[in-house]
This record gives sequence, structure tokens and C-alpha cells, in this order.
Amino acid sequence: MTQLIQTIVLGLLLGGVYALLASGLTLIFGVMDVINVAQGALIILAAFMTWALWNETGLDPLLGVLVTTPAMFLIGFGIYLATIRWILGKPASTSVILTFGLALIIEGVMGWVWTATLHRSTPDYFNQSFTIGDIYLRKAQVYGCAIAIGVLAILYVIIRVTWLGRAIRAVSANLSSAKLVGVNPRTVAALTFAIGVATTGAGGSIASVLYPFLPASGYQWISRLLGIIVLGGMGSLPGAVVGALLLGVAETMTQTYVSPQWATMVPWVVIMVVLLLRPQGLMGQKLREDVAL
Amino acid sequence: MTAAIRRLGRHGGAIAVVALFVTILVFPAISDNRYYQTIIILSLLLAIMASSWNIISGFAGYVSLGQTVFLGIGAYTTAILSLRVFGPDEFGQGGANPFYFVPISAIVAGLFAAAIGPIIMRTRGHSFVILTIAFLFVMQLIALNWTELTYGNRGLSLPLPDWPREWGNLPFYYVFFGLLLITIATAWWIRRTKFGMGLIAIREDEDKAASVGVNTPIYKMLAYIASAVWIGAAGGVYAYYLSFIDPRNQFDIVYSVFVVLAVLLGGRGTIWGPVLGAFILEPLNQITNNDFNRWFGQGVWDANKRLIFFGALLILVVLFLPRGIIPSVREIFTRRRVSKVAAEVGARFERKPMRVVERAAAEAEQAPAAPLLEVRGAEKRFGGVKAVDGVSLAVERGTTTALIGPNGSGKTTLFNLIDGTMPLDRGEIWFDGERVDKLAPYRRAHRGIGRTFQITRLFRQMTVLENVVAPLRSFSWRRLGSDAVSGPESERAYELLEFVGMQRFADHQAGTLSYGQGKLVELAQILMLDPKLIMLDEPAGGINPTLIAHMEEMILELNRQGTTFLVVEHNMPLVLGLCDPVCVLARGKSICTGTPEVVQADPAVLDAYLGEDFVLEEKAEVKS
Repeated sequence: MTQLIQTIVLGLLLGGVYALLASGLTLIFGVMDVINVAQGALIILAAFMTWALWNETGLDPLLGVLVTTPAMFLIGFGIYLATIRWILGKPASTSVILTFGLALIIEGVMGWVWTATLHRSTPDYFNQSFTIGDIYLRKAQVYGCAIAIGVLAILYVIIRVTWLGRAIRAVSANLSSAKLVGVNPRTVAALTFAIGVATTGAGGSIASVLYPFLPASGYQWISRLLGIIVLGGMGSLPGAVVGALLLGVAETMTQTYVSPQWATMVPWVVIMVVLLLRPQGLMGQKLREDVAL
Repeated sequence: MTAAIRRLGRHGGAIAVVALFVTILVFPAISDNRYYQTIIILSLLLAIMASSWNIISGFAGYVSLGQTVFLGIGAYTTAILSLRVFGPDEFGQGGANPFYFVPISAIVAGLFAAAIGPIIMRTRGHSFVILTIAFLFVMQLIALNWTELTYGNRGLSLPLPDWPREWGNLPFYYVFFGLLLITIATAWWIRRTKFGMGLIAIREDEDKAASVGVNTPIYKMLAYIASAVWIGAAGGVYAYYLSFIDPRNQFDIVYSVFVVLAVLLGGRGTIWGPVLGAFILEPLNQITNNDFNRWFGQGVWDANKRLIFFGALLILVVLFLPRGIIPSVREIFTRRRVSKVAAEVGARFERKPMRVVERAAAEAEQAPAAPLLEVRGAEKRFGGVKAVDGVSLAVERGTTTALIGPNGSGKTTLFNLIDGTMPLDRGEIWFDGERVDKLAPYRRAHRGIGRTFQITRLFRQMTVLENVVAPLRSFSWRRLGSDAVSGPESERAYELLEFVGMQRFADHQAGTLSYGQGKLVELAQILMLDPKLIMLDEPAGGINPTLIAHMEEMILELNRQGTTFLVVEHNMPLVLGLCDPVCVLARGKSICTGTPEVVQADPAVLDAYLGEDFVLEEKAEVKS
């Protein structure tokens, strides 16, 4: 029983971090119809930046969030200007191919700068735990999840309250009407992409403490994030949160009760089952497709 | 000079292809440079992969990023059969000759494609891409974790070749070469058959293809199998060639992307583009892998820089050469020819009467009493909106029935329910004495339902003639392999194009037509189905008065010949002059059906649609 609770709590803590990262991916897809496959590599890039900062200056990796988030925002903006803006309106498969190219470049750069070996940020609390009854909670997990929820809350405020958020929601609901009422979709797309990538800053800093990573770890992350947003419904922010929590728990349960090797398969199986049985996901809306006007 | 260039444009491709093949064929006799042999072997493999991928993704438009799954399946099939099933030795020494199992690898890959194809191709666009990646990773993880069978991470070592040493890798070289020829022949054959044209139609507009009778599920599944089989065979040969396989290198996502890059570079949807792309990309890959190290020094050039190099190449191709080399070059040579016919765009229509088609004529003679089409209590909701809310409607044989009503009243949705583009939530649809609401759209087209779309939908990359020939009145396996455009079909298509007055545009690309011209071609297209019922969605919407008159004439003529019509239209003079009876929809319900006179006088209709002060102009004139 204790083991079960322990497993679920761990899954939820992980899910909190996943939720933040998946929000960025689903936001970009919802507004721009772009599947940013490079999101996994960008997480690892942020993790490496965090590790380097911590290694060089001793800055706490979780506080690294304050540096990596704006840095990734700028990188996202740059990527948008250099590549993404040219393929808006093209089929989503084009964006998958293009961003895969981005992922390869980022992976190569990371291997070049930091070599293809395992890294991990190890501040002194990284292997300490809180104990509540029989349950152990790793401090890094708890802090990481708390920070993720904080950043996620800020993201929600931006989307719910600000003009930008309204513009984002308008564009993702109906592009042509948004244009009519004076929203410039290119500006919105640029900011959305930058914000979506900025979530990898905070997420990557947290991840650098949670897991060891190397340049190729991005694949594992992108599989997880795709699983989450497909499960939650692509383009839906609440869906991403629900999907992240479910996937986090599914992963830790598989790790504990089946085997760690099979845990990496969980996201892919989730993707297959959801896309085949309920393609709109848990919280994605099934709208009238204007297939036949 | 220009003539010489044009001749080069026409024959240059063929010359290059023959030159390439002869070079590959005789190269081992000229040079025994093993490094170049390796480059050619790997280029052949990539070309096999790229040509195969092109069938499902270039022709049918289903972009797969997991095509290496079939390479891995082929490799593991051969390796496991050779070592574990027929191999004498637990440790992978002295197994049976792997070449025996290559055909089995092809079959297993084909069966796998046949099993998952129909399932994953129910999704489209981004969902399909993600699913192909998911299948690749799932298979990789199965190969990693099913250690009893695959030895997981440790991989499998195949027996070494048993032929004389001095042959080197030549047997692999020629087997890959033969496989590439077979793959290209497959792609070439598909492209010139009805099957291939159906795939192009699916790529251009899948729902439209289904509505003109293309059996889309079968087409897609066959295309997926065709894109898997030769990769499976190549996987078996590749395993033997490598003599060692492991899950990460056999089920490799990066190699999948490499295949996509090869096709994009050479030209997606063409026969030779994938081959060209492969023979550019793989040598480049080997040069950056080996020679760059020599040129720049070991420490300067490494795997990381290769990742950056190919990542950047992928991005550059997507951004700046999205159509690929062959289509871009071809465009330069054909621009001249296109500009010559452009002058005809404004030409006036010349119509000719049409030969009466057999089915419609037979129909006119016997004409049973029951209505041709009957909709009973049809319901369809989108989220909380009931777009169609219990509509019942009968279309009698030989009539031209109108369906009118305000915007959003459910007319187009009802069309979509009748032709099967959307599934019905509740109710029944009967056509020609048979219940059809559970039938797939293409089956309803085969039964004789043809429909046009409010916003014209043609296969834009195909010519007008191909568009008209594309519809299929029935499905037969044999016809999949017949010529894309046969003699009698093309004759009939010209006749139909003459009937609508578009014969002079037969060779134009459909995407270049104006809106009105598109409507005429779409009508000719569905006439190819010999439909018993033609459903027209706003035939007069957005076109000029002359064309409206022209459209009216054609409807009258077809109707005289026995074709039944169901017409959605807002142009009241046209509706009231042409149609009897008229059925009025409002808020998803049928509110009135009757002759034009009855409908015009009905208070409910005036309230919901026509308006209190509705007076038809012609009538007003008669009165005054």
C-alpha cells in the first residue's frame, strides 16, 4: 500500500514538471499547427545551460530557471524568425520534418560543446528526501514540481488575462476571424513560439537535477511530451496538464510494477491507443471539420 | 539552340538514368576500390528506401517518419530465421545462409504493413506522422526488451558470407541493385495505373476521392504494403551485409528522416527524384563521415558536426527547395509550353450535345414507383449543435428536387450525410431500394450518387482530363492495374468535357482553372460516374449570369435523359424555374415540401427564409 501511494505521489510530482513542458508544445501546436519536435532537444539544451551555470558559478540549478527561461525565450524567437515563419500554413508534417532538422542541429551543438556523456546537476539536496510517514519525497522532485507549477500559473495568467493571451486564444480558435478584428497572426505566432520554447527553460533546469542527461536524451523527452499532448488533446492546455499527470503516474507505475525498460514504451503505447480510439484526446474538442463545404 | 535544350529536357532524364545504371552495373569491373563500392551499396539501399517511401508519402500523401521500421523488421526476420530457427549454433555461428530468408523478410514486412496500415491510416496529417514514429519506437523497444529472441542490446551476429573471398561484397552489391530495379519498376508501374491515379487523388483530396468512387481504404493499404515489401527484403540483405544487427541501428529514427530528406531533395512524387536524392545524399554522408576526417583532421570534424550539417541541410531543403530538384528543373523546361495555352483561359464555351449514357437511359424506361432517394429522420450534431434535426425527404425518380433554406439550416450537412462524407447520428438513408447509410462513401458513389461541392473541389495537381477520368463506377482488383487513362475512358471524358464546354482545357492543370470553369469540370467529373442521382451544391453560386444559364441548360438536358437531381441553391429564379418539388429546411428541420407555388405561398417558409415581401421578379412582371 505504501509502495502504491509512493508510486502515485512520485508520478504526480513528475507530472507537474511534464505539464509545464507539454504546455509549451501544445500551445505552439494550438496556435500555429506546428509540431515542434525540437522541443525535446531544447529541454536538454536548457539542462546543459543550467548545468554549466551551476558548474561554473555555483548558481543553484533550480534558480537557474530565472536565467534559462528568458534565454530560451530569445532562442525560440530566433528560431521562429529564421525558420518557422516560412512554413506557417504548410501541412503539419512539414513542421515535423523541419523541426527534426533543428533538433539534429541542437543535438550536434550540445555534443560539440559538452560532449556526448552523461551530465547531471547535483546540488547538495539532490539526493536528500522529505519523509512523511512511510513516504519518501526527494527534495529535488518537490522543489522542481513547485517551480513548474509556479511557472505554469504565470503562463495561465498570461493567457487568461493579457491582450497577448486573448490574441493567442483568438488565433487558435479561428485564424481568419482573428485577422479581421485586427490581430496580427504573425506577431502572435512569434510570441507564442517564443513562449512555448521558454517553457523548456524552466523545465530543462528542473530536469537537469531530476535525471542524468546527454545530448541524445531529447528523443525520450519528445516522446513523453507527444504522448501527453496526444492524450490530453492536441492544442488543449488543460488537456496537457491532465495528460501530464496521467502519464507521469503511468510511467512510475510501469517502472515500479512492470520494469524500467518497458516504462519508455508507455508514451508510445498511449499515443497509439489514443490516436486510434479517440483521436481528439481527452479534452480536445471534436469540432465540425469543414471537410465538405 | 533552344530546340537542343528542349530535346535535352525531354530526353536528358532518360539519358542520365541509363548512364547511372550502366555505371553501377559495370563499376566493379572497372575499379575494385572497396570504399566506392561501399558508397554505392549504401546509396542503393537508401534509394530502395526512398523509392518505397515515395509510394506512400509521395504518391498517396501520407507522410511517414517511421519507414525504417520495415528495414528493422526485414533485418530481424532474416537474422532470427537464419540464426535461431534454422541456425545450428546458440551463439550465432554458422547459421543458415541468410539469402534464403530475404523473400520471407519481404513477406513479413508486407504482412506487418497490411496489419497496421488500415488501422493507422484512419488518421491523417499530423496524427499519422506521430503514429508512424510511435510504431518505429515501439518496435525498437520490443527488439530491445525481448531478449530471449533478439538478445536485446547485444544484438545478433549473422554468419559471414560463404562465397570466395575475392568476390568481396559484390553479391550484396548486385542483390541491392536488383532490388532497386524492382522497387523502381513497382513505383513506375503504380504511377501509370488506375491505382496510382487513385493514390494521387487521395493525396490531393481524400474525401473528394471517396465521393467519386475511389475505394480509399484498399488503395491506402496497398500503397502501404508496396512501400514496405522491398524495404523488408532490403533489410534482410542489409542484415547479412552488416553481419551484425542491433535494435538501435535497425529501427533508427534518424535514418527514417534521412530517407525523407533524400526524397525531398530529389523530388517528392516523381519516379526518379528519390533515386537522385539517394545518390546525392548517401555519398555526401560517406564523404562527411570519412573524407572530412582526413581533410579537416580527426579532432575537427566529428559526429556532432555531421548532425549539424545534415540538420541544416534538412532545414535548407524544406525552406528553399520544397519541391525537390527534378520538379524544379522540369518546370524550367516546361514553362514555355504552358505559356502557349494560357491565352485560351478567357475563351467562350462551346457546348456539344452528349451521348445518352446507358444507365440513365435504362433508368428512364423502367422507373419503379419508389422514390430514388429517401432520407428518414436524419440527425447530425456537432458538439451541442444539431445541424440536422430529424429531416425526412424523398427525391422521386426523374425529378429535379430543390433543397433550399437559410444559411446554416443544414443543407450541406444533409448532402454530406447522403454521400457519406459524414456519418449519420440517427436515421436512415435509402437509395434505389437499398439502405445506404452504413455504406462507405465510395460504395454510395458506386450505387450511383454523384455530388458537387459548394466550393469546388478538384484534384488540383492533376490535369482536367485526369480529373474527369478519376471517378470509378465500381471496384475491381483487376482494374487497379489497368492504365490510368485508357482509350475508351479518355474518349468518354472528352465527350463529357465537350458537353460542359471545357474540352479545350483538357490538358490544363485543374489548379489553374477559374472558379466557374472548376464548377463545369466538377460536373463533367461526376457525370463520369453515370450517376442516377446528381446532388449539386450551389451550382450557380458565384458565377456569372451566362454561365448560370449554361448550367441550367445542362441540368435540363441531363434531367430529360433520365438523371434525377437534388439541388441546393440560393438563386430563387433558377430554383423555381428548374425544380419541382422544392423542399425547405430551417434550423435543421424540414419545414415544407411542395411545388414552387405552394412553397412560395407557405407562411412558414416566408417567415424562415424568403421573407414577407418575397415576390419573384418574373411573376411580378406577369402580374403588372
